[in-house]
Parts: sequence; C-alpha cells; structure tokens
Amino acid sequence: MSFFFPQGTFFGLDAMTTSLQSFSVAENVTADNLANVNTPGASRQQVDFNEATPIVGSPFMATHVYGTVGEGAIIGQIQRIHSDSYDALFRGASSSQNYFAAQQQQLQAIQATLGDPNAGINTQYANFQASIQQLVAQGPGGQSAAVRQSVLTQAQALATSLNNAANAITSQKAQTLQQGAALVTAANGILDQIAALNGQIRASTAVGDSPNTFSDQRDHLIDQLSQYLSTQTSIQSDGSTLVTVNGQALVNDTIAYHLAPPVVGQAANGTPTFKINFQTTSAAAASQAGIPLGSGQLAALQDLYNNKLSSYGTQLDQFASSVANEVNRITTGGYDQNGQPGTPLFQPIVSSLPITAGNIQVGITDPAMLPVALANTDAGTLVQPLNSANNTIDTSAPIDGNTSFANPPAADVPGPGGTNGALTITVDGQTQTFNYQTNGTVAGANATSVNQFITNFNAGHYGVTASFDATSQRIVFARDPSNEDLVLRGNQQANASTPGFTISDTPNAGGGAGILSALGATGINGVQQNGTNAFAANDNGGSNAMVKMFQANVGVPALETQSAAAATAGTAITVALPAGNNNIQVGQVLTIDAQPGGVGPQENVVVSGINVNPASGIESVTFTPADNHAANFTIASAQVQTLTQFYGQTITQVGLDAQTAITGTNTQTQLASNIDQVRQSISGINADEETQNLIKYQNAYQAAARTINVLDSLLNTVITSLGVP
Amino acid sequence: MRIATSTIYNNQTQQIDTLEATYQQQGQELSSGKALNVPSDNPTVIAQDLAVRADSAVSTQIGNNLANLNNELTTVDGALSSLTNVVQSARQLAVSAASDAITPAQQKIIATQVDQLLQEAVGLANTQYGGKYVFTGTEVASSVPPVQTNGSPISNVTAQANDVVQTQELPGGQQIVSNVTLKQAFNFGSSDGSPDVFQVLINLRDTLAKGQVVDYSQQQVNLAGTAINPAVTTVANLLAGAAPQILATPLQPDASGNVSINIATAGNTNGVNVTFLPTDTIANVIAKINAAAGPIGVTASFNAKTQRISLTGTGTFQVNDVPSAGSGTASNFTKAFDLTNQADVVNDVSTQLGDIDHTLQVTLNARSVVGSTLQSAQTLQNTESAQVLNDTKVQSNLEDADIAKVVADFSATQTALQAAYGTTTRLEQKSLFDYVQ
Repeated sequence: MSFFFPQGTFFGLDAMTTSLQSFSVAENVTADNLANVNTPGASRQQVDFNEATPIVGSPFMATHVYGTVGEGAIIGQIQRIHSDSYDALFRGASSSQNYFAAQQQQLQAIQATLGDPNAGINTQYANFQASIQQLVAQGPGGQSAAVRQSVLTQAQALATSLNNAANAITSQKAQTLQQGAALVTAANGILDQIAALNGQIRASTAVGDSPNTFSDQRDHLIDQLSQYLSTQTSIQSDGSTLVTVNGQALVNDTIAYHLAPPVVGQAANGTPTFKINFQTTSAAAASQAGIPLGSGQLAALQDLYNNKLSSYGTQLDQFASSVANEVNRITTGGYDQNGQPGTPLFQPIVSSLPITAGNIQVGITDPAMLPVALANTDAGTLVQPLNSANNTIDTSAPIDGNTSFANPPAADVPGPGGTNGALTITVDGQTQTFNYQTNGTVAGANATSVNQFITNFNAGHYGVTASFDATSQRIVFARDPSNEDLVLRGNQQANASTPGFTISDTPNAGGGAGILSALGATGINGVQQNGTNAFAANDNGGSNAMVKMFQANVGVPALETQSAAAATAGTAITVALPAGNNNIQVGQVLTIDAQPGGVGPQENVVVSGINVNPASGIESVTFTPADNHAANFTIASAQVQTLTQFYGQTITQVGLDAQTAITGTNTQTQLASNIDQVRQSISGINADEETQNLIKYQNAYQAAARTINVLDSLLNTVITSLGVP
Repeated sequence: MRIATSTIYNNQTQQIDTLEATYQQQGQELSSGKALNVPSDNPTVIAQDLAVRADSAVSTQIGNNLANLNNELTTVDGALSSLTNVVQSARQLAVSAASDAITPAQQKIIATQVDQLLQEAVGLANTQYGGKYVFTGTEVASSVPPVQTNGSPISNVTAQANDVVQTQELPGGQQIVSNVTLKQAFNFGSSDGSPDVFQVLINLRDTLAKGQVVDYSQQQVNLAGTAINPAVTTVANLLAGAAPQILATPLQPDASGNVSINIATAGNTNGVNVTFLPTDTIANVIAKINAAAGPIGVTASFNAKTQRISLTGTGTFQVNDVPSAGSGTASNFTKAFDLTNQADVVNDVSTQLGDIDHTLQVTLNARSVVGSTLQSAQTLQNTESAQVLNDTKVQSNLEDADIAKVVADFSATQTALQAAYGTTTRLEQKSLFDYVQ
C-alpha cells in the first residue's frame, strides 16, 4: 500500500528561486572581491551556502518530499576570511621596518653632510696638520708669510667644516621635530577614523550583521598606524577594537586619544630629549618621560634625536673644544712675529658662549700674528757655555768634578761633593719645583750627567723643555706648551697659557753652588722671540709643539679644573665643573691627580652620573675614586687617544648606526613582506580564484534558471494539457 | 599555498627593488672604484681609513718639506764647497807670498787677488735659497743682505744673523736640523775668539798690501767665559793669582813686580824698552808701546773682539821680554800674549796660515754636518715616500672595490634583474580572465 501525499504545486520553483537569489548574491560577492583585488587591506569574502531547511510538517513528511528535500540553497553567511593573529605579527614587523627606514633616510643624510671619508672634517683636520708641518719646515719664500697664511686658511676651513656639520645636525634635529609633528597629525587622523569605524562596527554587530568591509578598513588603518608607533589591539565583545601603545589606550571604543606634537623636554641629567605625550596630558605631567613609543617612525625620530643626532653633536662639540683647547694652549704660550704674546688661534663666534662645533672660528687674521715662536733662554747672555777653555762637554759624563766644565761642582765622594737643591720653574703663574742631586753616590741622584739632568727635568712636564746645544756648548731652556702635565693644567684651570717663564735655583744648605751655577747661569727668564734678540721670531717651536700634539693622546673634551672638596676612597663625590664645560658624559674617563708635591696618587675614574643645574647651566659630575685625594685635587679628561682617533670613533659610530638602519630596513622589509604573504595567502584576493568562482556561480545560476524552465514546462503541461479543453 | 594576486605584484616589485638597489650599489662601486664611499659601507674600518688618510696628507707634506730641505741643503753645500775653494785659494796665495823671492809689487798683486776672494766669501755668506738667506739662523730678513762690508778696501764685516740652529719636528719624534749658521760655516763670532773667514782674508790682504809686518797673538789669550776689556782690565788683573783668571797663561811679572819688553827694528837694533806697571790698563799698555816704539815705526793695538794684541811695523822687528830697571829677571809678556819672536813678512804670512787652516777646518766641519743632514734628509724623504706609498696601499685595501669580484657580481645582478623583469611581465600577463568566453 502506498500513500500519496499531495505536494505543493510550486515547491520546485520556490526552491529554485531561493537558489537563483543565492547565486546572484554570490556573483555579487565575487564581483566585489574582484573589484577589490588591489585594494589594500581588503579581505576576500566567501559565500557560505546552506541547504535551505525543509519545511517541517506532519508525520511521515520526513520520508516524503516535505522534510526530506530541502528548499534549495540559501546563503548562510558572507564570511570575511581573515586571521587576526597574523595582523599583530605584521604590524610588529611593519613598525620595525618603518623605524629602520626612517633612520636609514636620516642617517644617510648625516653621512652625506659629514662627507667622510672623501671630504669633511677629517680631511680638513689633516690639511690643517699638513699646513702646520709646512710651517715647521719654514718653506721657501723667506719669512713664509704665505705658509703662515695657509695655516690660517686651513684652520678656518677646519672651523667652517665643523660649523657646517654642527649646523646640519642642528637643522636635522629641528627637522626631526617638524617631521614628528606631521606624523602625529597623520596618526591622529587615523585614530579618529578607527574610532568612527568602531562605532559603526559595534552598531552592525549589535543587530547581527557582519561588518566585513568596516573591519577591513579598521584593520588596515591599524596597519597604517603601526607605521608610526608600536600598537597592540584587542577585539572587544561588542566588535570594537581597543588600540593601545605600551598599555596606554589610543582608541577605546569610539574615543580617540590624540597625540600631542613632539616637544623637547629635559632629561634628569639636563640633556634635551624628544618626547611625545597625549594631548590630554596635563602641563604638570609634561615633564614626564613621554609615551614609550616602541617602534615605528615616531620612535625612530625619537631615537634619532635623543641617541644619535644629539650624541653626534656632542661628540663634534667635544672634538671642537679639544682641538681649540690644545691648539690655543700652544698659540697663547708663544709669541707672534712682532714679539707680542700670542692670542688663541681658535675663538668662539659668540664670545659669551664656550667653543663648540657650531661656535668656533679662527681669531687671527694677520699671518704675522700667528704665534708659533716660543720663549727660549737667550744663549748669548743668560746661560754661558758649560765648557772650560776649548774642552767639549761629554753630556753622558758625570757633572761633578768634571774638568771639562768651567764651574764643575766638587767631585763625588760619599757625603759631600756635588750640589743639590731645588729649581723653581714658574709657568702660567704656577710655581713648580724640580729637586736635583748631582752627587752620584747619593741614592736617587737625578742629575749626575747633563743628559740625566735634561731627561729628568723634561720628565717633570713643567711646560719648559731643556736641551743641550752642542754647537754653543750650552743648555737651552725653552717654553714648551706641549710638555705640560695634567697637574699643571688642572691647577692653571681657566687661566690663559702664557709665553714667559722663569727658573730660579735654591741650593740646599751645604749643597754647593747649585746646578744653575754649574750650568753657567744664576737665574733664567724665558726671552721672548722677536727680531731684536738672538733668538728671532722665526723660531718654529710652536709649530713643532703642535706637531707633537697632533701625535699625542689628548683629553677629549677639554676639561681642566680642581675639586675644592677632598675625596674619600670608595665614596662617590660630585664636583661642579666650570661654566662652559657641558660636554662630559656618563661613562667618560677622567684623570684625577694629586696636588703638586704628591699628596695623593693619580688615578683614572669613570663618570657615573652627570647633572645640570637648570638655572645656571652648570654641569656636575659624579665619580667614585679608589684612593683618598686631598682638597684641590685636579680633574681632567683622561688622555687616551689622539684627536684623529677620537673623530674616527665618532664617524665609526655614525657608520655603524647607518649600517644597522640599512640592514634593519632590509631584514624587516623582508620579514614584513613574508608575514604579509602569509596573511595574504589567507585573506588575499586571487583574481584567478575569483574568476573560477564567477564561472562556478554563473554555471549554477544557469542551471537553476534552466531547472525553472523545466519545472515551468512541467506546470505548463499540467495547465495546458490536463483538464477541460 | 594560496597566492593573492597582489602578493605576486608585491613580491615582484620588492625583488626588483632589492636587485636594483644592489645594482646601483655595485654600479657606484665600479664607477668610483671604491667600496667605501660612506662610513656605513664598512664602519669597522672607517676609523682606520680616516687615520690613514690624515697620515697620508701629513706624510705627503713632510715629503714635500724634506724635498725642499734637500734642495736648500744642496744649495748650502754648494756655497760651502765654493767657500772651501776660496779659503784653499787664499792658502795657496799665502804660501806663494810667504817667500823672500816675492817682491813688494808682486805682494800687492797677490793682495788684490786675496781681496777678490774676500768679496767672493762675502757673496757666499749672502747665499739665498728661495728668497731666504741660508746662513742667518732665525733672524728676520731686512731689505738689505744680512752680511755687510764696511770700508773700501773692506776693513771689517758685520752680519745681521744669529746662531740659532733650527730643528724640524717630524711625527714620531724625529728631529732634523735644517740650517747652518754663519758661525758654523764662517767661524763668524766664534765662541773661542778665533778669527772668522773674513777677518783672516782681511789680515792676509792687509799684510800683503801694506808691506807691513805684524806680530800678534797667535790665539785669543783669554780663557773661555772671560774677557779683557782694554779700558778696564789692568795688568794686575792679568797677573798670576788674580781672580778670576783671565789669561790662559797668566802674566808673571819680573822681580820688581813690573812687566818690560824691548822692541827692536832693523834700523834700531838696540831697540826701545817699554815698562808697564800693575796699575796700567791694557789701553795704557798700548799707548805706552805706541809712544815709545812709534818713532821707530812699530805700533800696537788690542782687538777686544778677538782678544789678541797686534804689533805692526813697516819692516822686520823683534819683541823680547827684558827685565825692568832694577830687576834681575824678565816677565813673560810675549808668552802670555802669545807673540811670535820675530815679525817679518814671510814669518807673518806663515803665521797666518794657521788661521787660514783653522777656518778651513771649520768650513769642512760645517760641510760634513750638512752632508750628513742631507743624507738623513734624503733617507727620511725616502721613508716618507714609502710611508705615503704604504698609506696609499692601506687606503686602497680599505677603500677600493675588488673590481673583478664587483664586475662578476654586477653581471650576476644584471642577469638576475633581467630574469626578474622577464618573470614579472610573464607572471603579470597570465590571468584566467584571458580564457573566459
């Protein structure tokens, strides 16, 4: 027995209509995908077809048409194919990529501005050295006005190249701020858009819609935002996205927290720092450190400003101050061609400010006023020949009892014999003492022969150098600014180096007639060098001293001072530096000295902290010595490298930073591209695939339409062929 | 793996970008020949590169300086060589003149020749190199040559010069002496008071020209560091035991405490006696000699500069120590003042040979000093050239591109780039759409 249950006449047609509509929608979705094949941030949308649920009716229906056969195809959902987890990875890589790219751009500009190695400061400094070397040789042309002029020209070229580099760095720092402000404006615009989209997405989600396009737009905007700074996101239950930077909200639901343009604040140690705050940050909190930006272009600018450009600028300033200090020490210690005491070769452009890379110029315009002649003992009048009659001094032979001498001290015997006492050498207003003992039988005798006297005297670094002139058989004492130790410099402090000097002799009681008597003099005054005396203004001692200085390790930056307070071993001490010394940095090595006379040991200390008084601008350094030092101990930058080496280090740093940025850009671009590729493999639109879908849905649509046609003809048969004619 | 359409384009674009960047970098290396164009190209060697460049610039300058010094010293050596010839010629003339066979007329002719040599010597003292007078120490030049003559015929020579020996400091602490002074070359203003080249020639010329004979101290008579001032120094100051000791050989008075000498000539064989008291200054001594011996044709003078006494006669004369009135012994005046026993032309000229030989020795010493300086300057110049060469080599190692490698890389990049272009166009022209009917 079979049962027949009547079916709805239009059942098939109904099902096909649903399908037609579905396929039409699917074609539209495919068309939308194809249209957005090049739209950044677009995710492909996929149509999920469902079989339409059969109409549930009375029992038995399930085994018959109703309840068994579906009502055609309907669209379950239009799905946005997207993986949020890859978004976070991509944004991280994109932040880094933009960070390095921004740095690369700026650092390559800095490299181009500095011009090394083909041109630039190093070249100018080398040219300056070469011009001094030429002056040493007193080239042809008589009194070498041309060579002197060339020294001035090269010195000015060096100063100008320092000025240019400093200006370039300053303007690049300003540009960093401008660029930062522009980026902040762009970022704020994005924040607003994200907030607006959050609102729309929340509204759509609330009514059960799937806001695929809005989501795409929002995610893409967050991608863009991550170019500027590091972002973190979390999707809220209402569909909106919370966007944060380092835990601080940028967009929460529909509220955008705008960033303020970058400002330059002051770090605790007084150095200016680039920082970005929220616009809502109160004025009181403006002194805070600012938002930690993580990565991205804004972070790149911040790092450039705080750690790269500022550091390069400081190092250039240190270089300039040290070059000026070392060269000026020699020129102010000499005489010019007119016999006038020398003036500093390098001077500040703005005289009230200390010399920096941007504030340095050549202060001498007249070649004749270039002070390179140093004071000498006048061999003709102040020091007599040492030798008696026609004898020649053997400078390695004992002085005592030496009959080659005109006035030898008594011969050495244990106890008496020889001479001993102290020479007082006055240079730059500082009196220094050299204790001598000629009797070779006394332990520690330091002047038993002429050679030993000269060696030991010169090792005292008194700013005066002794030498033996074999032709005239005389000892010549000459002012030598390149032979001054840190004790003298520290004690001298800001006092200008001076060209004159005196030496006086105080023999000990019972110590004989004194060493100067044996050397044929009673007291010595450095005689200024000009055309009117035996040692004329063409003396090239100053340029010789500069050649020595170029080869020598010098303290960078220039620092010569004393501590009024005593220091205790193992206890940190903070010393305020003289005004104008604003270049000391944490980690720098300082040499601290005993007072003259050897109260305490010399040692090197590392600066552990610096502090700048905001009102006076006075910089203080903190360090911990290993030994005790009495009050008024001297402080100077440790002499660890030549100026060329120091500048080389600076350029190495620039090069390394640029290289890191270039390598970082390449790596991070590759990384971002790889992650994006994975992301795109999930959500990206493939035109071929969409074309296939298009054909697929078209065919299905055609089939459905054809089916309707068949069903229609079935109905037609019923309507036209059955029933009453 | 699904490939999104945009991924294809992005990938291709990125690959082409990367290849083009490499292509550009390699192109720059090839066109500049350098792999180190900016510090970031190789930060690890940039500091060394900067140091080498600076060293190279300085070494080049030192090399130029040394080349210049070489030229200058060669000029100096040439002048000293000519001076040696001058002095040797003078010596030959003196030797030929020191003969009784030479008539006074011939002596005058020889004197003219000596005068020529004198002028030649003055010219040599004013030798210039590059506009700079080479023997003047560090003295600033004025518009006139530094060595000037006075009188005609030349009676003395003055110089605006000093004895400063200049040294040039080279990096690395070497020093090189860069000049020769008038004192070193011409014995001018010598420490020991011996006559300079000019004075020797003037003395020789005068001796020959005037037909006069001179009996004079063969050496300066003072000790180094002391001096006889004719207006101040007295006979007593010169006596043995006086402090400070001035004469190398102190004056021993005769038994009366006085000093007497006898001056005899061919016309007056008994001669005249002159007695000096301890209180007499040297100026008084000279005046007494002139007063007593002037009438017989002998005059005396004391040269404070050379610290010598000279007695000049128109013919042969003799100076002897004699006891003063009432004394049994004689003093040692002739020994203390280093006078010869007899003064005649032949003897006089012969005596001057010693001075000539001394100046010749001084000049030869100066030449040997210049020679050794020249040698060391040349060695240093070679060293500096080698240094510059080495710097260039190091700089090349640090900076230069390995052309062969870069060329290979360049063509590899080019090939890759061409492949990328080809791939891109092919990938991009294929689409399923092409087949949709």
